[in-house]
Amino acid sequence: MAAAKRAALLLVLCLYTAFAAGPFVWAAMLSLRTTTEIHRNHFAPPNPAHWDKFAEAWFTSNYAVYFTNSTQVVVSAVVILTVVGSMAAHCLARYRFRLNRVIYFVLFSTIIFPPQITIISLFQILVQYGLYNSKLGLTLVYVAIQLPLTIYILESFFARIPSDLFDAARIDGYSDWEIFWRVSLPIALPAVATTVILNFILLWNEFLYAVVLITEEANRTLPLGIQRFIGDTQEDVGMIATGLMIAIIPVVVIYAFFSERLIQGMTAGAVK
Amino acid sequence: MAVVTLDKLTKFYERGQVPAADAVSLEVNHGEFVVLLGPSGCGKTTTLRMIAGLEPISSGALSIDGRVVNNVPAKDRDIAMVFQSYALYPHMNVADNLAFGLKRRSVDRAEIARRVAAVADTLGLGGLLERKPHALSGGQRQRVALGRAIVRDPKVFLFDEPLSNLDASLRVSTRGEIGKLHRRLGATMIYVTHDQVEAMTLGQRICIMNGGRVVQVGAPLEVYKHPANTFVASFLGNPPMNLVPARITQSNGRLLVKVGAHLFELAAGRYPALTAGAEVTLGIRPEHIATATNAAEDGRFASIDAEVVQVEALGAETIVTARVAGVASELFARLGPDPDTVVGERRAFLLDRYAIHLFDAAGVRIPAHAAEA
Repeated sequence: MAAAKRAALLLVLCLYTAFAAGPFVWAAMLSLRTTTEIHRNHFAPPNPAHWDKFAEAWFTSNYAVYFTNSTQVVVSAVVILTVVGSMAAHCLARYRFRLNRVIYFVLFSTIIFPPQITIISLFQILVQYGLYNSKLGLTLVYVAIQLPLTIYILESFFARIPSDLFDAARIDGYSDWEIFWRVSLPIALPAVATTVILNFILLWNEFLYAVVLITEEANRTLPLGIQRFIGDTQEDVGMIATGLMIAIIPVVVIYAFFSERLIQGMTAGAVK
Repeated sequence: MAVVTLDKLTKFYERGQVPAADAVSLEVNHGEFVVLLGPSGCGKTTTLRMIAGLEPISSGALSIDGRVVNNVPAKDRDIAMVFQSYALYPHMNVADNLAFGLKRRSVDRAEIARRVAAVADTLGLGGLLERKPHALSGGQRQRVALGRAIVRDPKVFLFDEPLSNLDASLRVSTRGEIGKLHRRLGATMIYVTHDQVEAMTLGQRICIMNGGRVVQVGAPLEVYKHPANTFVASFLGNPPMNLVPARITQSNGRLLVKVGAHLFELAAGRYPALTAGAEVTLGIRPEHIATATNAAEDGRFASIDAEVVQVEALGAETIVTARVAGVASELFARLGPDPDTVVGERRAFLLDRYAIHLFDAAGVRIPAHAAEA
């Protein structure tokens, strides 16, 4: 009976894995084939495997520039989001002051606006401040759109840190500023890691704001770069797949690097 | 060591609300161990937090060694505090937890290592220095919390219900350790608890609080034997002091007290200020009630009839609950290990006249003549 149960469970897992990983494996195969080969047979294995397509994409199709731009914009945005978001969350969770909950509500309520509503005004603001078509402008927009969610996730975690710890640190001689860096932040690290991964993946794949706010080739991010291979009449499917594989590498690396912390944050009680 | 003086310390959390601590005055002497004791919400923790510098003082003055420290931040008061939740930093190992306060005070590294090792040695934490708090048992965490206070060598130690999260047997042994620690360090210590056993065993003096106010300050046995009012009488002791309404009458120049349907004579000359007709509360501790068979001196005891409603044999003693006709509350008597009584029986209970306390209508103790049992 137990063996049958196990086998059934395994079957469900296999089916789900095939469902979830199938498109990824297919895209990976496409990335090693030329568009002509793909048109001949959509599902054939890569034989021969064109590894040189990666070099071609990186050097001749400008992926090096897109990759660098994406890295600059996303890493800067994630760093700012993490520092500002955790400070704001610490402050909202820890200090009792007038309008604390009002500020929290106003910050969080901005989540309800769909990007289509804000993007026109954002475009106008960026043009006025000379930030349109610049990586700095896009970075600031990314910080703005992700900050409420970051604060929301972190605030609930910071609020769970017992206030006795802050009191103990105060008696131990630490200032509020030091308490944030030496007590709050290290304890909240699992939650911080969660927001880092979440923000990184969301922003790395972000397309809508980038396509509206960036038009210059030199400032394009990866999703825009991939889009360039979709033409009006035809598309270079093979190159798009290669670009996708390049784009996915940092996400996998980040996830592998932080996943232990992520799981820690989701399962174990870090504050005991 | 230091003298801590609280002069009418008051704390309002919200303007216009009832104060959490109301004009609390107390002087804690050099090397003294004082326990703030009271029920939940009586203001004892608020008072401790004001001393620690964790709560701003609404009014009144707090001085340490004669210097008013109302506006001195917590870190500059040279105070260490042990919290109910231990408040160990979960991301640091035991050694770092112990050293955290010293690092901020720019103590040099070799000295920190020496002091951490010494404290770890004293508290038996030697093998645990590399462990994180979540890998420690409750008792070990408590010792780390104690160590964190000791390692700083502060002027004053504050304890906020440090034993309440421990199981019963660990509580007894840790209580003993805290007592030893005080004798060894000779430091000024202020200890907050709602547990009267901790207060009685640890404190050189007890400060009993209720409703934000200090009700009585004194040595543990003095407070137990001479409670200032009915609150203290009923708060200390387990079971607490029996308190029943009574009326004073006079007959042939002798003072009598009427409890329910019973009328008996008070010990002669014991209450010089008492007059006939007064409505009072009569108090007697359970251990001062005996049953007929184990009372030797007849004249010393007043007899009342009561119906036994419960007998709790605890091994070393037996707690008997009885109902007296005409009295709403039940009477507790602490008897020997083998009392000759059963539930439902109606029998005589003997009250030691020299152990009777009388409280006036406001609940304040009526002074009694010194000749007490």
